[in-house]
Amino acid sequence: MNRAERLRNHLMALPPALYLLLFFAVPSVMMLFASFRYPGEYGGLAPWYYIEDGQLSLDFTLENWLRLFESGIYLGLLFKSLGYALLTTLICTIMAYPLALMIARSQKRFRDLLLLLVILPFWSNFLVRIYAWMIIFSPQGALTIGLNHVTGALGLEPISLMFSSTAVITCLVYVHLPFMILPLYANLEKHDNRLLDAAQDLGANRFQCFWLITWPQSLPGIYAGAILVFIPSLGIFAIPDLLGGTNGIMIGNVIKQQFVESRDWPFGSVLSLVLTGITLLLVLLAAKLGKTGGANSGT
Amino acid sequence: MVHNRPSKTLVSAGVLVYLFLYIPLAVVVIFSFNDSKLNAEWVGFTWKWYEKLIHNENILRAAGNSLIIAIISAAMATVLGTLAGLAIHRGRQKWLPALVLGPIAMPDILIGVSLLLMFILLNVSLGSVSIILAHVSFCIGFVALAVQSRLAGMDQSLIEAARDLGASPWQSFRLISLPLLMPGIIAGALMAFTLSIDDFVITFFTAGVGSSTLPLEIYSMVKIAVTPEVNAVSTLLMLVTLTLITVLSKISPTVLRQ
Amino acid sequence: MKKLLCCFVLCLSQFAMAEKALHLFNWNDYIAEDTVTRFEALCDCKVVQDYFSATEEMMAKLLAGGGDYDVVIPTQNAVEALVKQGFLMPLDKSKLSNIGNSAAGYMNKAYDPGNVYSLPYAFTTTLIGYNENKIAELGIDPADWSIIFDPAVLTKIKGKVTVMDDVEELFGAALKYLGYSINDTDEKHLKEAQAVILKAKPYWAAFNSSSYIKELTVGNIWVAHGYSSDMFQARADAAEAKRDFTVNFVLPKQGAVLALDNMVIPKKARSPELAHMFINFMMDPQNAAELTTIVGTGNPNAAATPFIDEDILKITAIFPTPELQAKLETVAARNAKERRLANKLWTEIKVR
Repeated sequence: MNRAERLRNHLMALPPALYLLLFFAVPSVMMLFASFRYPGEYGGLAPWYYIEDGQLSLDFTLENWLRLFESGIYLGLLFKSLGYALLTTLICTIMAYPLALMIARSQKRFRDLLLLLVILPFWSNFLVRIYAWMIIFSPQGALTIGLNHVTGALGLEPISLMFSSTAVITCLVYVHLPFMILPLYANLEKHDNRLLDAAQDLGANRFQCFWLITWPQSLPGIYAGAILVFIPSLGIFAIPDLLGGTNGIMIGNVIKQQFVESRDWPFGSVLSLVLTGITLLLVLLAAKLGKTGGANSGT
Repeated sequence: MVHNRPSKTLVSAGVLVYLFLYIPLAVVVIFSFNDSKLNAEWVGFTWKWYEKLIHNENILRAAGNSLIIAIISAAMATVLGTLAGLAIHRGRQKWLPALVLGPIAMPDILIGVSLLLMFILLNVSLGSVSIILAHVSFCIGFVALAVQSRLAGMDQSLIEAARDLGASPWQSFRLISLPLLMPGIIAGALMAFTLSIDDFVITFFTAGVGSSTLPLEIYSMVKIAVTPEVNAVSTLLMLVTLTLITVLSKISPTVLRQ
Repeated sequence: MKKLLCCFVLCLSQFAMAEKALHLFNWNDYIAEDTVTRFEALCDCKVVQDYFSATEEMMAKLLAGGGDYDVVIPTQNAVEALVKQGFLMPLDKSKLSNIGNSAAGYMNKAYDPGNVYSLPYAFTTTLIGYNENKIAELGIDPADWSIIFDPAVLTKIKGKVTVMDDVEELFGAALKYLGYSINDTDEKHLKEAQAVILKAKPYWAAFNSSSYIKELTVGNIWVAHGYSSDMFQARADAAEAKRDFTVNFVLPKQGAVLALDNMVIPKKARSPELAHMFINFMMDPQNAAELTTIVGTGNPNAAATPFIDEDILKITAIFPTPELQAKLETVAARNAKERRLANKLWTEIKVR
């Protein structure tokens, strides 16, 4: 590689790199700074230095970070959000698996159509998909009334679907399901069916075929899907906002509250940084799993 | 060859999941024809929410804003993303993938609040410009990915052959690489356009006065005045995307698969 | 194909860049559609509205650089904070010929002496809206804050109650329930209020400041904590939709929050000319009266009274009698430290 070419290479990387430095890296660093500052009197941040008797003093604080641990509630919220995201990922896996497997085992000419049918609903706006569940879960909706006929007949208390964690998780699953189906399908499609035939010839039953051959091979697909479902569902605020009621709140809602209602940017930054940290850990973990998983499926 | 065909249980499970995907949207569409402002139970058939919609200037203005923002963001992201994809492919800057793919990995809310923080602290007034700047930052990665995956499948020997035959680097890029890359670039541009026009979370934090986009408008409709007009907007939106997809798959069947 | 797309974009950009527009930042459901339409005809411009459903939300948006609205409708304490911030433009009284219509009792208040920056728009009380049939059936007294705070009462209506998603309003109500002033800043009292709220929270369906009109009208909830004007609309909507129940509203006997909402023009307003025109238009007796007859607000416009139905004037929750008025309090502007404490307690409530 000669010098001109190397220069060209750097010139090519320069514009996108500069742009993302300015609009992705710098804001993140500013957020780190903000987390050590005091909130301004009318929102925003307080000045980071003040001059007293001609002497310059810096005005940084650990208060916002300490608040995180002051009482267990913020850690509790974090665990609750992680729990919601984990449950969403599990349900997505359980629902995506049969569908992905079905598509992968369908005749080739149908596969594109079946896949398109998976993607199609997700070209409709995110909010529309939430709104759909608001209608379905409405206390005057057919589903709730029908269910309450059943609970009434069984002598149980009437249930309410709207404003519950059930509603939040159902909608989280609905919104993120294709992110599990697509990578899983991409993986399952590559499986060599001759392995299954061979296993069957050797006397394995259906379950054994699945458990010993298909499942282990599909793990990389599941890992990929899990990361695509878990991370976005962890940061979501619109779904709990519209469907969660008083108890279904997640960390995203509290971050949003600090920025657009309470005007406490420093604490909002602390919560955001915690979420960033978790995301980074997960991405690193996924990269690692992806490598080892890929190696396994290769052998 | 029993395994070439899905079993009955598998098919029925698959159908159930498809129903789960489609029933909610069907409900939205059906209720857009409901002749009741409250929209709690079915009352009767009407077109009136669509008529109201056509005259709702807030929605039309927001749709116009969304479209303009999406076109500009997609254009900017396509240029920057293509460059990023090429640079990542050559692999000279080890840190570049992390920077380009970072915004894809992060939950939207984090990008939204950190940009809000920066815009305010730097006194950038919020509006269409701040929305576009924000959208470009998370679209670049998607374009880069599309371009890169196209590059990965490209035959390098063609370029080498062109260089051997005396083509300048620019000529070989313009005459050989670029045309070969085009499907990847188009796919990336479309993806950027869709992501931008559909984005709610990042726009929510970076929008200002008079720059409301369609998703923001839908959010306030869902949150404040829930009438079947929301259903009507949603139904129309679905129709538009459906037509777009059909047209696109006719023009270039490979684009969608990316 | 390309040409077609270009045409399309051009058409849409026409919408996006409307020639003359008044950007109004208002509470949701706080102006009648007819009024807006008439103003648009008068000024030959478009009214572009953005909505908020809590004072804190509005302040956050304005102070986050969203200052180029033409007219904002803040509550009295927010006016005070905005004035202190130097955020507002002094009103040009020479352009406001209808200024004399405002009732003297609502002018020259402590939050803006001499009405330099603000003029009264409307007032509301924060109270209890309820499903009359259900509440009568269950034998609950709606004119008491215990209906949203006392677990003994709430067990009967669990999951059928919403309270405001608003730190000032909810703490105000809880403080009143405890017998304190709405503007009590004693940390101990605020913590007591927080405890009351936390104890009642499991019984509430949601914190909701924006769609309780609909929820009440549909029958999804039976009790809502909210603004008098919204409850007025819920009652009208339920009657219009011929629901099999009626919605009503009442001021709790412990007293409640009175909110005086004002029209102001931010310094950065893009068209102050239009803004003045709008303010003057809203002080016209007939337009002001529509705020009451259609939206259901209390009216600080003395000249508007003849245009208002007597039935509405008699509703004490909208036009409180002097005895009731004595129990109402307006929220005072809080300093940064008090605000931080309240918001911290509020965040804790949300998280728990």
